[in-house]
Amino acid sequence: MPATLFQQNRGIKLLAVLPTVFVFAFVVVPVGNILFTSLKFESLKILKSETILNVVWFTTWQAIISTIASLVIALPIAAVIANFKFRSQRLIISLISVPFILPSIVVGAAFLQVLPNSFHRTAFALILAHTYFNFGFAARIIGARWLQIHPHLDDAARTLGASPRQVFTSITLKLLGKVILNSALVVFTLCFTSYGVVRILGGPSRSTIETEIYFRAMQLGDVSGALVLSLLQICVISIAFLLISSTRRTNRLQIINTTISRQRLINKTSQKLAVSTICLMSIAFALVPILAIFRKSLISNSRLSTNAWREVLSNTRVLNSLITSLGYAVVTILIATTIALLAASSLAYNKNFRFISALTSLPILVSAVSIGLGIIVTFDTQPFNWRGSQMMLPIAHALVALPLAIRAITPVLNDIPDSLRQASSVLGATNWQVWRTIDFKIVRRAIIVAAAISAAVSLGEFGASSFLVRRNSETLPVTISRLLSRPGDILQSQGYALASLLIIFSIIVIFVIDKFSTTESTNSRA
Amino acid sequence: MLEIKNITVNYESRPLFTNLSLTIQRGEIVALTGPSGSGKTTLLRCIAGLEVMAAGTILLNNNDITNRPAHKRQIGLVFQDNQLFPHLNVSQNVGYSLKIQQVAKQTIVTKVSEALDLVGLSHLADRSITNLSGGEAKRIAVARALVAEPEVLLLDEPLNGLDSELHSRLLEDLRALLTARGTTTLHVTHDHAEAATIAHRVLDLRQLFS
Repeated sequence: MPATLFQQNRGIKLLAVLPTVFVFAFVVVPVGNILFTSLKFESLKILKSETILNVVWFTTWQAIISTIASLVIALPIAAVIANFKFRSQRLIISLISVPFILPSIVVGAAFLQVLPNSFHRTAFALILAHTYFNFGFAARIIGARWLQIHPHLDDAARTLGASPRQVFTSITLKLLGKVILNSALVVFTLCFTSYGVVRILGGPSRSTIETEIYFRAMQLGDVSGALVLSLLQICVISIAFLLISSTRRTNRLQIINTTISRQRLINKTSQKLAVSTICLMSIAFALVPILAIFRKSLISNSRLSTNAWREVLSNTRVLNSLITSLGYAVVTILIATTIALLAASSLAYNKNFRFISALTSLPILVSAVSIGLGIIVTFDTQPFNWRGSQMMLPIAHALVALPLAIRAITPVLNDIPDSLRQASSVLGATNWQVWRTIDFKIVRRAIIVAAAISAAVSLGEFGASSFLVRRNSETLPVTISRLLSRPGDILQSQGYALASLLIIFSIIVIFVIDKFSTTESTNSRA
Repeated sequence: MLEIKNITVNYESRPLFTNLSLTIQRGEIVALTGPSGSGKTTLLRCIAGLEVMAAGTILLNNNDITNRPAHKRQIGLVFQDNQLFPHLNVSQNVGYSLKIQQVAKQTIVTKVSEALDLVGLSHLADRSITNLSGGEAKRIAVARALVAEPEVLLLDEPLNGLDSELHSRLLEDLRALLTARGTTTLHVTHDHAEAATIAHRVLDLRQLFS
């Protein structure tokens, strides 16, 4: 492969240094420490305990059922997205995406309001909440790939005698098989490592591996047991990740780019009915829990009241958590976006740096709770006694956000043909000028998307924060959890008011992402 | 015999063509020419049942198929860009219609083999379609359509985009194939020389409607 314009610059290699050091220091070392500490015979005995086996079994089967339920709901929505064109379609797609970006603690709180008390602390509640979290994400991924299937493939099958059902089973499903499997694996991983939802909705009787890690480390003092569970979780996620990677490799063979859209106007009454029903039910499913949160924030002692909001906006401790969260979000944006940009650039400018892709994906293999636990047990002795440092939390948030931020930036940078840079160079531009006038101009929208994603992750992050947050620097999700766990309507209403703030922010993030995301580089048309 | 009677097709609420009529006798190869954007592809798609007509009738062997869905019309269509199924290999693509009809496996194997022989590509039976050259893909698309034994074969600029040498070779092969099988064919092209070479009769689309 010929060298890119920037690859000829020796300084390009330095781009990879900071991402490598960052991931090595805060993922590889802590995970290595988890591995080293937990692989002791005494520690491994915990895996024989009946309680732990039940926890592992519950974690697995609820994740499987949640995955199936998410896909069952997502497929009809994906069909509508891919095959029909109608007004408000983009708005509907944005709305169904909101649950995915909501903080897990908010989702848990929402279903406490939506479901009757008898359903609290049940597996049904958890599965419903997990389905709510993931159906929009799965619908978008599957719908986007379905949209890429050339409509004439369906037509070709029809002219060869295939009925509509046969077209779907022999062509469409076969071409979508890998992306459906890919989505299923991602959703399974998310449900398997779910924390905030389980903490709020599950209670002590419905513990998953993630909440058990927290419980053992922070409440029982059984750090070695928590580490073994972290290791178990890392193994499961690694297997899922390897499967996801293998489906992505073979999936590339079947992507069919097309200039002919398969979306058509809705003509028949039966189509109108089906599309309307699917859209309305999707929107209702997405919005009802959110509206329940807002409603509860305005209800105090069974009466309509703005007391909770007034209290939240005047309570010093609560305001401090809001300011703290915003501060951490800003730092997270700076760290995650910078590292992501450097990593994406080193990948785009030097094809020999493909290891950066694998390295910066490592945080995916470690759940947020395990990241928090890993940081606590690793950085606890001088000269690396950093676990009490305020910087550890935004670093943990940045680790969680990093794979997502990189995935927002990398495709855009990769899409820039090197010939554009070369054209700029032969017109007299230095490398810095080429980067500033070509690459940066094209990638800045993706940087905004990466920043929005990082902010959303930071503001809503609960897993790692549960370990790392200090009493005088609570984050919003930790404050919400504290308020919701207290008896008393007034305090709980305040929790819901804060949850409403997080919802508003999440909706803003989704619209920013949708506005600034682009699947087409302007260079492809140059 | 294919009869198209007074069909009207609209595009974005405006008429693309009005009262178009055409008759093709059994075994006849008719070439249809016309400038880009005149509606040639749309006409083929209407005949195949892939587009909705505003008015008119289509008769196949005196049977009215106007409202029949595409998969029941027994009309084959070779697309401009082939539209080979990417998840199936060459044999599977060619044998697709037979599998849909639940024909016995051994029969499928035999007929696919015959079809590939006909287009001179037996050696590519197990090849992935992503590894085919432009000319090979065109031949496979034709073989796939012919295996279904359609009453009428529609060809939508099948030789578009090929270099002149390959174009000439494929044109000759196609003419020989269609003539030997006696397939009733409507061949759409903007190339008048190609039309004159392959067809018994050449028509201009603009002459067919009012």
